[in-house]
Amino acid sequence: MSTPWTPAPAPAAPPAPLPTRLDDVAEPERRSLLGALVHNRNGRVGCVLVAIVVLAAIVAAAGGTPYSPTYADASAALKGVSLHHLFGTDQFGRDVFSLVLQGIGVSLEIAVVAVLIAGVVGTVAGIVAGFLGRWPSLLIMRVTDILFAIPAILLALAIVTALGPGWLNSALAIGVGYVPIFVRVVRGPVLALREADFVRAGRVLGFSRTRLLLRHILPNVGGAVAVQTSLALSWAVLAEASLSFLGLGPPPPTASLGEMVSQSSSLAGIAWWTLAGPSIAIVLAVIGFNFVGDGLRDAFDPRARNR
Amino acid sequence: MLLGIGRRIATTVVTLFGVSVVIFVILRLLPGNAVTASLGVSAGLLTHAQLVALNHYYGIGQPLLNQYADWVGSTFSGNLGISLAARVSVASLIGSALPVTLELAIAAMLLGLLIGVGFGVLGALRPGRIADDIGQGVAVFGLGVPSFIIGTGLVTFLASTFHYFPSSQAFAGLFSNPWLNVQQIFFPALALSLGIGAAIMRTTRAAVLEVTNLNFTRTARGKGLSPSAVTWRHLLLNALVPIVTMSGIQLGYLLGGTVIIEQIFVLPGLGRLLVTSINNRDFPVVQTLTLLFATGFVIVNMLVDVLYTVIDPRTRSR
Repeated sequence: MSTPWTPAPAPAAPPAPLPTRLDDVAEPERRSLLGALVHNRNGRVGCVLVAIVVLAAIVAAAGGTPYSPTYADASAALKGVSLHHLFGTDQFGRDVFSLVLQGIGVSLEIAVVAVLIAGVVGTVAGIVAGFLGRWPSLLIMRVTDILFAIPAILLALAIVTALGPGWLNSALAIGVGYVPIFVRVVRGPVLALREADFVRAGRVLGFSRTRLLLRHILPNVGGAVAVQTSLALSWAVLAEASLSFLGLGPPPPTASLGEMVSQSSSLAGIAWWTLAGPSIAIVLAVIGFNFVGDGLRDAFDPRARNR
Repeated sequence: MLLGIGRRIATTVVTLFGVSVVIFVILRLLPGNAVTASLGVSAGLLTHAQLVALNHYYGIGQPLLNQYADWVGSTFSGNLGISLAARVSVASLIGSALPVTLELAIAAMLLGLLIGVGFGVLGALRPGRIADDIGQGVAVFGLGVPSFIIGTGLVTFLASTFHYFPSSQAFAGLFSNPWLNVQQIFFPALALSLGIGAAIMRTTRAAVLEVTNLNFTRTARGKGLSPSAVTWRHLLLNALVPIVTMSGIQLGYLLGGTVIIEQIFVLPGLGRLLVTSINNRDFPVVQTLTLLFATGFVIVNMLVDVLYTVIDPRTRSR
């Protein structure tokens, strides 16, 4: 459990002494994640925006939209913004606010699954490329370079074309495009950490590779991964909206923000709210996740640490 | 220096080869094949002999390796295949669409550089002043509002306020009708450029600010150089590497962005061709276009790398 030269845990804490890791010595104490985030101005704004977006998705998932997103009241078509219809109604008389809430839900679902795919695959590949031998590393980095060479949105387009539209396919397509970024972001620090003193010390002590990886290296790339996850979510929301804007999102009747924007282009001259509603939702999500990413980056300051 | 460039070209060729494999593999996942894609339901009415003949024509049923070799081989020899939907050669489709996209991309990049470097330098020289605040505002707007929303907004704004519909007239060539062409390219380029400009601005501002505090800048000011000489020769020149890097990265987003913007502004470019082909399941065109986009991106990235050695002598020794 504890290692020879780590200071012994304080004797005054008998119930379940914290496992003492070499990292604790090598790393200065950090503020809690949320504390550091809120300390940063962009991070604070980002947290609020993300909270709004997530709340909207939860409301939609719980069926709490003011109207049913599919309920069309032809007599109330293209009504402006009012207390009854916060974002007005569309050409079929559907409540735009309810549609937007549902769209946010769908969009977040796809984005989260996409980033989960990209994050897990990319992080594992990055660690393997940084930590294991020369050949796996070379192979992974070549594949990464190749994927990187295809603009991500085009890669997503090609994959959706091949698999056909659908929400899981969208998530897969968006996720694949972001894998190379995770690989690069993770591999750099892993390469540096492999030669760090505390990892060398662990190696000398005869720790297994698995232990070194899981307990000493992985926790130290967590910051970079967290930052990238947040930025990836921002990108994924944008990419999902782009795909559905081009008519390649989940098929109807699923509401999707990109498709709403594309439908509004012929209406927005007479009914600006049909464009404003979904646009506000997309922008809130994109800026929110982006700001949280910025805030996290400042909190972890990977620059200062990896140098 | 030449050795470095040669090595860079070699890796580019290897990468391009990999890209072609990836695109080939992805698009082979397509359900159905070229025959069902081009004939639709009526493919079921074909006699066995017809089917065999068509399969032979499209190269279906051959080992994947042969199909891949066929595709790459004919692409190299300039035969890009026949569009299943338009029944004309893919090369002629691309030939008419490529100039539109190139013009759009170049115009957007120039506008983005103008916005980005302009506001970035202004902001860095006087942080916290009005120009900086405007720049920061534009940056948040450009980063947060996707180009297709800006584009849709622009189109509806132009239509409802000025009764101007960019698509009301056929697209004019740059040389046949320059004035109309500029009108038709400017707004889509503007919609694309804000996002690029925002990213370039943040990079420029940070890079210039970093150089401002270095000793040689202080010396330059101290020995009485005019402020403009300090700005252009000392600050901007030294901040150029990150700016060029960021511009190269943005080019990928730019290429993706043209696909959507051309759709909104009804420009007959490669992006519109790509989306039409995807909807028509016009598989030879999708395959070749994706490869073309990726090739453009890879080559520009290579040029950016080569450019480093030109603008920053320190990277030459490597």
